Amino acid sequence: MFTNQQITDLPQHKSIVFEPLADKALLHAQLNWLLFFIPFSLVLTAVCYFNPDFAAMAQGYLLVAVPLLILLCMLYSVFSIKLQGSALRTHDIAFKKGIIWQQVTILPLARVQHIEIHRGPIERKLGLASLRLYSAGGMSADLQMSGLTHEKCKNIRQFVQSYRHDETSSEVLASES
Amino acid sequence: MNLDAEQITSPSLNWQKVSPWALVYFVMYFSVRFIKDGLFNLLPVLVVFVTQVENKLFWGQVALVVALVSLFIYCFLYYRSFRFCITDEHEILLNKGVFKKERLTLKFSRVQNVNIAEPFYFTPMGLVNCIFDAAGSVAQEAVLPGVTKDYAQQMRKHVFAYKAQQQPSAEVADTAQSHIEEQSENSLFIPNKEIAKFGLMSNMAILALAAIAPFMNVAIDFLEQQFITKIEGFYQQELGMVANAAVFAVITLIIALVFIAVFLSVTMSLIRFYNYQLYFKNKKFKRIAGLLERHQLSMSLDKVQSIVIKQNLVARLLQRFTVECLQASSGGTASMAKKNKQTLVLPVLTQEQVDGVCQWIYPWFNSKKLAFKKVEWALLYKNMVFYALLPSVASGFLMHFMQLNVLISLALFLLLATLVFLSYIRYGYYLHQQDGRFYMVVRKGMIGVHYRVFELYKAQSARGVSTYFMRRSGLKSVYIQLAAGGAFVPYLKQHDADFIIDFTLMQAESDPRSWM
Repeated sequence: MFTNQQITDLPQHKSIVFEPLADKALLHAQLNWLLFFIPFSLVLTAVCYFNPDFAAMAQGYLLVAVPLLILLCMLYSVFSIKLQGSALRTHDIAFKKGIIWQQVTILPLARVQHIEIHRGPIERKLGLASLRLYSAGGMSADLQMSGLTHEKCKNIRQFVQSYRHDETSSEVLASES
Repeated sequence: MNLDAEQITSPSLNWQKVSPWALVYFVMYFSVRFIKDGLFNLLPVLVVFVTQVENKLFWGQVALVVALVSLFIYCFLYYRSFRFCITDEHEILLNKGVFKKERLTLKFSRVQNVNIAEPFYFTPMGLVNCIFDAAGSVAQEAVLPGVTKDYAQQMRKHVFAYKAQQQPSAEVADTAQSHIEEQSENSLFIPNKEIAKFGLMSNMAILALAAIAPFMNVAIDFLEQQFITKIEGFYQQELGMVANAAVFAVITLIIALVFIAVFLSVTMSLIRFYNYQLYFKNKKFKRIAGLLERHQLSMSLDKVQSIVIKQNLVARLLQRFTVECLQASSGGTASMAKKNKQTLVLPVLTQEQVDGVCQWIYPWFNSKKLAFKKVEWALLYKNMVFYALLPSVASGFLMHFMQLNVLISLALFLLLATLVFLSYIRYGYYLHQQDGRFYMVVRKGMIGVHYRVFELYKAQSARGVSTYFMRRSGLKSVYIQLAAGGAFVPYLKQHDADFIIDFTLMQAESDPRSWM
């Protein structure tokens, strides 16, 4: 059995300096919330219009609750975006997120099976993109990072691909020698 | 090479046909596929048939004959178009398909296992199915049906010899060393009486019930009409229990259904693991089992992503364990890998047998002697509040409003608190170093127990999770994603959790061995 003390020069993930998301990431998150709340409010308005009994009972509460909910979601996205960050190290990529449960996920580049860059209409308009990195075994992406600039996503993809290429070449050389 | 396949000359590639007996395999294969996938899609037609058609017997027979004739014609055409070829570039090529022609190319380097299955209908002819398992993908699985056993075994040797050549130098050296230290063959045979116990332990009964889930409503109506009223009548007439006859009828039916489910489960276990034989030599498993189809599975220990040793509630009563050797499952979970037959299952083992198998693969592993490091007390406090205290208080209020005895809530609290405590004391982890290799064992459970053993370098990613209160108390949970499943250790001291994450990453990033 080994102990902590035996290894002194272990690279520590605690010392990773995370880069914040792009400037427009907050705007993107808030626009996404609005895209949910606008149809939601329209549906509620329609229900109140066609069902006067429901309107008489719930209109007052809804007029307070819905703006409050929107405000809370906006505040949530402010904190959520502030707490997110990504970092690229020589051999792995790290991403932190979460308000209540703060998570730091680190994915070794040698374990990346494939990478996807996603860009929705709002992301395209704001020059943003989402990056998904997949490894073996997981049901969905192991790392999913939204709110990065498209340029940064492409750079990360290039870095990961060249890392994998280098590794494959070194494996081939090792087997030939 | 002794081929039981007709050679077809071709200027470039040597395409071969499989034996005509393979037609039986195709008939069985497409029949099963039709029942599994096709029947559900035909449900609307079935509904129209039941509700609209008057002469059901006649038209039912016509439909059956048409379906059977179509199946045979389709299988014959499929057999005619089925060709395979082993190229000089070390690939298996398959040409198949009736309406849509398909060409499947599978490189030897991507083949994980070559399994040999001996279905009961091939036994008199001495033929087998040779199955090439690609890394985690069912779509890429190639099956050569109705080839001779010798040919299948030669193919297996051929593929593994090629793969051994292609391995990086470190692995070749490792393999060479293992050849020098030629191990004696270890074996394990499980009697069928024990296999039947697996039916009681496993959830196969639920799987059997899940298979009939789409027809559940119809089944319940049918049961009500056919049985409940009759059993009710029996109780009323024979035993004179007029008042409780309906209740007794339902209870009798439920007990009968449970017995049927258990019987089904035991039968399925016997079909799957009949005459179970396991061999282990030179870091390779070979398992032969099955009633209708003798399935031969071979698996290299290096391909195993994690080993799970588990004992559920029923297994604890029977004092038995199940061991699973999990392989990589691309884009899916471990349960998917299990479905794809990529998991080696050692179904019903006694404690001594588990220790024996562990001696073959990990001689250091002894669940009783390992000094597991426990998780922090904070987990117990948190779970006690969330999973014992709060539900009990809520039930206390409910009891009060329903004017029932509040002591029931106290009993509920004691039960939940015991379960929470049992779950807490089960959690633990152990790190081990053996010959320069680093292993981790994670233990969890409640009444039963579950161990996951894996080499740290096989980790796919590592994650640390903490809440505000955990950070204030200097605690962190760790999750290590593996190519088959994952290991979660909650509420560790922050520096221990950080060490596990950092050390796992260092292993995954610096070890030159291939994780696959």
